[in-house]
Amino acid sequence: MTAVEQETTLRKGHIGVSVPRKEDSRLVQGQGVFFDDIKRHNMGYVHFVRSPYAHAKIVSIDVTAALELPGVYGTLTGDEVALQTDPFFQIAAPPGAHVKDYALAVGKVRYVGEAVVAVAAETRERARDAAELVEIDYEPLPVVVDARRALDPDAPVLHEDAGGNMSYTGVWEWGDVDQAFADADHVVRIGELHFDRFNSTPLETDGALVEYNRGTGQWTIYTNNQFPGFAAIMMGPALRCGIDKLRLVTQDIGGGFGNKITSHPQLVALCLLARKLKRPVQWTEWRTDFHQSMSHGNERWFHDVEVAVKADGTLLGFRAKAIDDAGAWLRYEPLGGVIWSQVAPGVYRWRNIKLEFTQVLTNKGPVSPNRGYSRMQHLWLTERIVDIVASELELDPVEIRKRNYVRAEDMPYETPNGCVYDSGDYAKALDIVLDLIGYDTIEERRKEAAARGKLLGFGIGSTLDSGTNNFGQSQLLNPDLQFSGNNEVATVKLDIFGEIVVTLGTTPQGQGHETTAAQVVASIIGCDPDLVTVRVGHDSYWNSHAGFSGTYASQFAVTGLGAVKGAAEELARQMRQLASMVFQCPEEAIELADGFARIKDGPPEAALPFMALGAIPNANNAGFPVDPPQMNARYVYRPPFEVPDKERKFGKLTLTYAMQIHGCVLEIDPETGYYELVDYAAVDDCGTRINPKIVEGQVMGATAHGIGAAIWETFAYDEEGNLLTPNFYDYHVPHALDMPPLKTGAVESPSPFTPLGAKGMGEGGGGAIHCVGAAIQDALRAAGGAVVTDSHNPYHRVWELIRHPERSRATVEVTTR
Amino acid sequence: MLLREVEYARPSTIEEAIGLLSEHAGARALAGGQTLVNVMKARAASPDVLVDLADLDELRTIAFSADGSWLELGAMVTNTQIVGSSEVDVARPILAEVAATIADVQVRNRGTIGGNVCVNDPTNHHPPLLSALGATFTIRSTSGERTVSADEFFLGVYMTAVGEGELLTKVSVPTRKPGTGDAMTGLTLGRHGTYVTSAAATVGPEGVRVAIGCVDAVPVRATEMEQRLAGGDLSEAAVKAATAGLGAALDPPSDVHASADYRRHLAEVSAVRAVLEAAKRARG
Amino acid sequence: MGQQPTTERTISVSVNGETYERDVPTARLLVHFLRDDLDLTGTHIGCDTGNCGACTVHVDGAAVKSCMLLAVQADGRKVATVEGLAGDGELTPLQQAFSHAHALQCGYCTPGMLMSAKALLDRNPSPTEEEIRIAIQGNICRCTGYWNIVEAIQDAAGGGT
Repeated sequence: MTAVEQETTLRKGHIGVSVPRKEDSRLVQGQGVFFDDIKRHNMGYVHFVRSPYAHAKIVSIDVTAALELPGVYGTLTGDEVALQTDPFFQIAAPPGAHVKDYALAVGKVRYVGEAVVAVAAETRERARDAAELVEIDYEPLPVVVDARRALDPDAPVLHEDAGGNMSYTGVWEWGDVDQAFADADHVVRIGELHFDRFNSTPLETDGALVEYNRGTGQWTIYTNNQFPGFAAIMMGPALRCGIDKLRLVTQDIGGGFGNKITSHPQLVALCLLARKLKRPVQWTEWRTDFHQSMSHGNERWFHDVEVAVKADGTLLGFRAKAIDDAGAWLRYEPLGGVIWSQVAPGVYRWRNIKLEFTQVLTNKGPVSPNRGYSRMQHLWLTERIVDIVASELELDPVEIRKRNYVRAEDMPYETPNGCVYDSGDYAKALDIVLDLIGYDTIEERRKEAAARGKLLGFGIGSTLDSGTNNFGQSQLLNPDLQFSGNNEVATVKLDIFGEIVVTLGTTPQGQGHETTAAQVVASIIGCDPDLVTVRVGHDSYWNSHAGFSGTYASQFAVTGLGAVKGAAEELARQMRQLASMVFQCPEEAIELADGFARIKDGPPEAALPFMALGAIPNANNAGFPVDPPQMNARYVYRPPFEVPDKERKFGKLTLTYAMQIHGCVLEIDPETGYYELVDYAAVDDCGTRINPKIVEGQVMGATAHGIGAAIWETFAYDEEGNLLTPNFYDYHVPHALDMPPLKTGAVESPSPFTPLGAKGMGEGGGGAIHCVGAAIQDALRAAGGAVVTDSHNPYHRVWELIRHPERSRATVEVTTR
Repeated sequence: MLLREVEYARPSTIEEAIGLLSEHAGARALAGGQTLVNVMKARAASPDVLVDLADLDELRTIAFSADGSWLELGAMVTNTQIVGSSEVDVARPILAEVAATIADVQVRNRGTIGGNVCVNDPTNHHPPLLSALGATFTIRSTSGERTVSADEFFLGVYMTAVGEGELLTKVSVPTRKPGTGDAMTGLTLGRHGTYVTSAAATVGPEGVRVAIGCVDAVPVRATEMEQRLAGGDLSEAAVKAATAGLGAALDPPSDVHASADYRRHLAEVSAVRAVLEAAKRARG
Repeated sequence: MGQQPTTERTISVSVNGETYERDVPTARLLVHFLRDDLDLTGTHIGCDTGNCGACTVHVDGAAVKSCMLLAVQADGRKVATVEGLAGDGELTPLQQAFSHAHALQCGYCTPGMLMSAKALLDRNPSPTEEEIRIAIQGNICRCTGYWNIVEAIQDAAGGGT
């Protein structure tokens, strides 16, 4: 099912080969070690008592009855937390900066599911039983769940310290937007668009086992947090301890997709409990708790959207107002307020853009990164408006894209706000999609479907996966922040018996780091990847991490493998140097190949196996006039970034831009609004593919997530702030019978900016969300011509679009000069 | 996700089971557990005593009645058994066709027809189907055995005619007569998913029976529609016309998956489709 | 022995061919018994409503979700988990097929997925694609989109499990 079109690329050694994964052997035998698999003698199991109210004062908490239950070890309340910790650092400038966020609710609860009390007991069941005996008296308060109402004068305020519900507001403008609209032949106005709230629901939920060493004040946290660099920076100051006192250890992680970045409040609660109870404590999040309280994807409204278009279909620019719904707490927000601008023009060449971005707090689950974080929402906006413009002006959706796409010859392309798209050929990728999906047969298929009473539609979704953040963009939101650039660390050593061992600061959740890192090292050192051992996961004790260490933001292939490459190259240099010392020849005469360091074109005996090299500095270092090299290299990869221009909101915010073009064909049952995807094609370009099968796996996974979000997945709330989809029964996650047939293709446009020409990839950019909406709108042209204005289109919404097309049509207006 | 403390017993005979259910006020029968265990995990209900029916082999049989006019399914017959049963295939294949779409393989391996009807969740598959087929339900207690119709069995929200201390022992389905066709359809959350609205229909020499699911606490027979179709005209136009007012007469729930209005509409569309398909099958 | 209701029971369960006798609370779920009492942590938990299938094991040869069974219900039964698939670290053709086809990424759904696949291939050695998808419908995966999993099971079919 794969048709691959290759461009030239780095094809050295094992790069570009779909080497079987090292991780697989243990995982298919059920021998992976996920945090809940780890046990400690006498450990306490923790259950969080959570708020049933979306907004309420905590009047009193009584844990007496809970503590009296046999087998209960202890409890922790917000009052204790407020005494023992300082509020978490806030990324926002004022007013968001004034939000006081603790590990447990203090004084108030602000969303249903917020953790209020922690109970620890000798068994899981007992902790659950004890939790029921905790008596909490609440005084309910009015609730705000609609972000569009959050700034109304009479809106209930979540955080009094912040004075209102706004966390951030800013105007982002580049080019000459007014002139663009003056020059336009058509202005297309769209009153309101909505990107819905959902996330990636990794199958393993959050959790940790925490131990406290009383003698040294050291915590060891076995967890699945996927951004330990960030977690430590948040936890250390809160716990009033040095960062080195927080040893974070990850092993196997059951999916992350960004949703495992902000578990630091729960980790702090566990740290306090482990110290208080003098025993290890363990917490495993329930699925329901995850849905209610962990890492919702940004929900975003776009209002007063206007697009300036020339008669020939050239897109001059757009302006819009965005309201971003952050939920009840700012745990990684308001970074979403700048991160979208990495892809401000989407895949298009328009130069005049204005977005007024406001983020608000509401009584819903806290928002933090979700696969495609904040770029996906913005890319959906650009795709939706291009699709609507094409539809309203009767322009061909393929032609308008090809006319306006950034072109291969423009690359590297500087966007209006100073980001640089490194490489790519979007039009070529679109052509491959059209070929895979049989675009020239669409009209015929449409007629055939109509004869069966079905409405067929075809849609395109063009999207980007920007990778390797420049954290300096945070200063565009808050100029006082001291974060900039990015990093990742790796060590590669040659051990006493010739083993090559790699450690990384990353936290893979299925991306195959052990395998791809081994491929890179093996290519450089000149041996089989089987001889390279990559340690599993992350451990602060390895000292191979830095402030930004983790696996997130589609950056591993650049930062992680960049660090691995640097360390491996340094080790290779040392190996050649040591061999040259042994053979007493120039370093240039030495080559590393087939597991040996040998003299190039030399006699067979002028070859040292790696084991011999490794033994020298470790156990056999006498007789050298100068110190033999250590065979233990540590490298910090730093991407080339400047701090962006805060005045103009201008600069390189991310290093690489992978691209995906998606196309889908679907059939709608006009009597019910039910629809099915019947054909699907996805083409990706992530530069050099280190391991093509792993890359394709990521493309498939992102496609599946997008399909789920387009059709079934939503975090829907009622007016009282109750989550209506708090588990997998109501939140339908697509299964094997729900998937369309899939054809994939690839283009490889190496990045000129990265060590291996690879671009980070994995998040995907929500391509499926974009093309499914487009296909629905295409199908409905024959049944009233409704406009798709929501990213989430369950059957009932499609039925409404069929029943009342005039309602969605009322949101669109075209003015022609 | 964790049950409260509960007492558990595993009787070896039906009499023992009924004895336990009568003796203990808060006792519940444990059949396949595919609903009850989840309910207990969520602590939405916590019976004091679980009476596990696993060892009651007499409740696991599928057999014809003596005169062959009924197919009798023991209450503990699983959906997987129904799917693979040659008796079902001969007598009333719609049972297998529908059972094959319930949840997934793992749930079908454990979930029973008795459990499915006794829970009487409005979205369950068997209640509207059995209602349309005219099934009967046999209940045993310390004072003997009685058999009731579907109307008498499905009483209210998660409530059936099986009272405290009683046990459903079998579900009996009429063997299909020549010229009979059955069908069930509706809107589900994903393929083979939970029903949002469902309709089951039987078309045969005795007329048309239609039951709608998910629109009330119990399956709703579309009696006006059935009467309008009694004349025998089962053309598409006639069947559509027969649903006039069907939706308006319903008071379905509104939830995240469907508004009340949408369910009313789906009820009408599903009823039409179920009848037309059943009629097509009746014609062979 | 089953007549009087009790809150604890001694159960005897065969797991992967080995018999274990343990005292358990009757409220304990089979999946917690396997993971916590027997340290067989290959079977995973991914939800709390019996939807995800990460906990899939075989009981008397049938694929079931061990989060919807009590440990006491396994008394006297034969349970098979992922740990029982490979003998002496030698991967079965099904396990190898999963790796070759890149049918796993994070590996969390994989044990349950393998057990569902094995249950299918044990009784239907040459399944169609539709039959494969039906067999694994009760196993949620969030990483792969299922396409490679279907391919892996197709590859393994006919070659023994």
